[in-house]
Amino acid sequence: MTDIAYEGWEPVIGLEIHVQLSTASKLFSPAPNRFGDEPNLNISAVCTGQPGALPVLNKEAVRKAVLFGLAVGARIAPLSKFDRKSYFYPDSPRNFQITQYDQPLLLGGVVAADVGEGTKHFCIHRAHLEDDAGMLKHFPAFGGVDYNRAGIPLLEIVSEPCMHSPKEAAAYAMAVRAILQYIGASDCNMEEGSLRIDVNVSVRPKGKEGLNDKIEIKNMSSFANMELALEAEIRRQIRAYALRPHDKDPIDKGTYRFDPGKKETVRMRTKEEAADYRYFPEPDLPPLHLSGAFIEEVRRSLPELPHQRYERYVNRLGLTPYNASLLINDKPLSDYFEEGLKHCAHPTHLCNWITVEFVGRLKETGKRLPEMGIPARHIAKLVSLIESGAITGKIAKNVADEMLLAPGLDPEEIVRDNSAYQPLSDSKEIGAVVDAVLIENPDSIAALQSGKTRAFDFLVGQVMKRTQGKASPSVVNRLLKERLKRD
Amino acid sequence: MDTALAYKERFVRGEMKATEIVEKQLSFIKEHDPKIGAFLSLLEERALKKAQLLDAKRRENKPLGKLAGIPIAIKDNMHIRGEITTCGSRFLTNYQAPFDATVVRLMEEEDALLIGKTNLDEFAMGSSTENSAFHPTKNPWNLMCSPGGSSGGSAAAVAARFCPLALGSDTGGSIRQPAAFCGLVGFKPTYGRVSRFGLVAFGSSLDQIGPLAANVKDAALLLEVMGQHCDKDSTSLPLPPANYLAELQGSLQGKKIGVPWSFLSSLRDPVASNFKEALGLLKELGLSLIDVDIPILKNSIAVYYILSTAEASTNLARFDGIRYGLRSQKAQTLSEIYDLSRDEGFGDEVKNRILLGTFVLSSGYKEAFYKKGQQARTLFIEEFRSAFTLCDLIALPTAPSAAFELGTFHTPLEMYLQDIFTTPANLAGLPAVSLLSGFSSDKKPLGLQLLGPQLHDAEVLRVASAFEEALGLCSASPSLEAKP
Repeated sequence: MTDIAYEGWEPVIGLEIHVQLSTASKLFSPAPNRFGDEPNLNISAVCTGQPGALPVLNKEAVRKAVLFGLAVGARIAPLSKFDRKSYFYPDSPRNFQITQYDQPLLLGGVVAADVGEGTKHFCIHRAHLEDDAGMLKHFPAFGGVDYNRAGIPLLEIVSEPCMHSPKEAAAYAMAVRAILQYIGASDCNMEEGSLRIDVNVSVRPKGKEGLNDKIEIKNMSSFANMELALEAEIRRQIRAYALRPHDKDPIDKGTYRFDPGKKETVRMRTKEEAADYRYFPEPDLPPLHLSGAFIEEVRRSLPELPHQRYERYVNRLGLTPYNASLLINDKPLSDYFEEGLKHCAHPTHLCNWITVEFVGRLKETGKRLPEMGIPARHIAKLVSLIESGAITGKIAKNVADEMLLAPGLDPEEIVRDNSAYQPLSDSKEIGAVVDAVLIENPDSIAALQSGKTRAFDFLVGQVMKRTQGKASPSVVNRLLKERLKRD
Repeated sequence: MDTALAYKERFVRGEMKATEIVEKQLSFIKEHDPKIGAFLSLLEERALKKAQLLDAKRRENKPLGKLAGIPIAIKDNMHIRGEITTCGSRFLTNYQAPFDATVVRLMEEEDALLIGKTNLDEFAMGSSTENSAFHPTKNPWNLMCSPGGSSGGSAAAVAARFCPLALGSDTGGSIRQPAAFCGLVGFKPTYGRVSRFGLVAFGSSLDQIGPLAANVKDAALLLEVMGQHCDKDSTSLPLPPANYLAELQGSLQGKKIGVPWSFLSSLRDPVASNFKEALGLLKELGLSLIDVDIPILKNSIAVYYILSTAEASTNLARFDGIRYGLRSQKAQTLSEIYDLSRDEGFGDEVKNRILLGTFVLSSGYKEAFYKKGQQARTLFIEEFRSAFTLCDLIALPTAPSAAFELGTFHTPLEMYLQDIFTTPANLAGLPAVSLLSGFSSDKKPLGLQLLGPQLHDAEVLRVASAFEEALGLCSASPSLEAKP
């Protein structure tokens, strides 16, 4: 498919995902790691770069990074170290960042992701810890810096250049996000910036080995924008090679950003302007030694991972791969489903009611089902009511509407308190309606006898219409068949 | 000269109130410091307040700390919460420290009377205290001469009897060389023994805080208080506190002193003859002398000035005029804030070292300079380790000469060569002491340096203490009445 789309060219994409680890305090200081507070409230001498202040490594951040490493099967380095990366910018309180340059904490690793036409495996190159920068704030008369974000622990996850379409890139990024959420390492909120993505992309003639020059697009604001940006950039590069095949730098190497309005990438700086970061080992932090015992202890705390949950959904619960992906990529919803499962013997129906009926009803509002205050067991109960024949699917939809209007109301009570929702399962009552329908539709009976089975469904529909959907479909079926056989 | 322990005794016995001690020292300082320039600021109010508390404590028979009643000066690159820390720089003229250095907290917990902050070469970069942005400090033994540096203010303060103890910091000899020039004991502990939290960093992997004192006992006392594990400094060694004062006692029999003679071929008098006399005295104490070969020592200046400036160039990057410190009034744009603030705030030597450090880390040069420096540093550690399999301590002169006159050196490189004998201990993280070993014919103090293996701080002090006692000169002090 990509072949046709890119006229014989193959995109090569690598992602750098920066994720803020959800720790109580910052990577090198006791200041709180919290989003959304007044500017410069969560700061300390360390994260504002005061002279005389020294960094002390946050063990919880190391633990969460190791947990991620174990989740993707990375090699956990028994010895890693920190380095200073020098650059002057007001958001950088020491004018150097503390990062891991040549001995990162995590090496390698594999992420499985559903790319629509099956599961694909993507390779991680490395992942390391570093501290976040502050944020510049622009005011009419001056600029300010908010250091609340400065020093928040980041895990930078660098993939191999192993993705070949925007869709694959998005699938990989979503799979990484799901893993981070499952292990409780990060809330991965792109709007709040706790997950940020830079992409590296190049194109090469399909079938060619080796890599062409790449460019970098900084700071994607959403997965959808990332796909759009990649799409635009891939086409720009293919055009550039076509228009200027002999140029030394046809793709105008450098760092780009995406303009979502114009749907095109815009160059921010050229390759020549690249800074010399003058990396060298951070003398204030000794190398980080991790014992096998520590790593094993962390391993024991690994929860069920998204791809394991996916396998369980598809193989044991019988969900479709589409629904399974939909659930696992939305951890709160998947957890909600898990909660409902405890009270429900019909996983596929529960999944449909959650993902289609309830989530569908909320689509316009922007609200999220797990936050609505409807206990998952209530949806499970609704499904059980349908399965037991206590209510029809049609009535269940009305009950669902009411559950959303008054979250917390038990569906059983809703049904009990509304006579219109009482199902009609009395054979006599339904039988009378069936008789009336048969009398009024002799044509349908004739059609049925001449082999047109669709006429049967029509008759069922007529009965349901007359009973306002309250008649039990199984009873209607049974009675109709009995009557028709007699005739 | 009055020792710190003598001050404490007078206070504890009730011969002198703490307030009287503070008042007396402050008036003595006010009388004599104008011609010496040891202090950048006096902590008058703070010291008197603490003294009143101490007097009350004594009246009420409450337990008194190990440093009770002892006036102590602090090099002005360590933080006392709420006080100004200038680092001898125009850049930080108004910088109020937001927290206490760990050493300050530990000393105050032991009832020290912090009386003032002393002059230094800007950001501790220098060997003469002439690089202070405020004024040079003069050597109390000879007011034409430098007290050494960078802890020259602290050394001059103790030599002038302004206080019996002072804190210095030593990155490449900044405690030991001023101690030698001022006839004092100056001790650089094993790297990691004393917390660096609250010390404004110069070369983080080399910096170590230590005492300047009139004798070894006082130095041991202060080290005992300061040598504690600190969880705010990740390079602080996880060791229990040691009883350095008690460990000064003990036999020296069978101990061997190594002398790297091949490194000392260019020694000149008066240092050369004094060093030999000092070795003679060590022998008389029952120590044996052996020749040790440590070939890497000849590279100490080059390696030290590559690694220390590399670290300094990044440590000082934070002084950018954005958050604190000097911001140029002329700056209109962001890059002008950086360029002009740093240009106006830093002195020449600091700029030299930032440039040098930036250069040795730059792409294309890092391999040849910084990386090679790191490799050489490993050799320092290894060669010292193998030397210490043959001997217990190593003896060196502290400086190639006695105190030089102010204005002697006109190029940075000449000044850098002053550090030839002191930098090896920093590169290898070793404990090293400088102590008075005699005087030149023109009555300038000379210093002997003893280096020990890592963590052998007590042993270094024990030998130093025996030497000091045998020499019997530590009561010597300069007359402050002499006209410059």
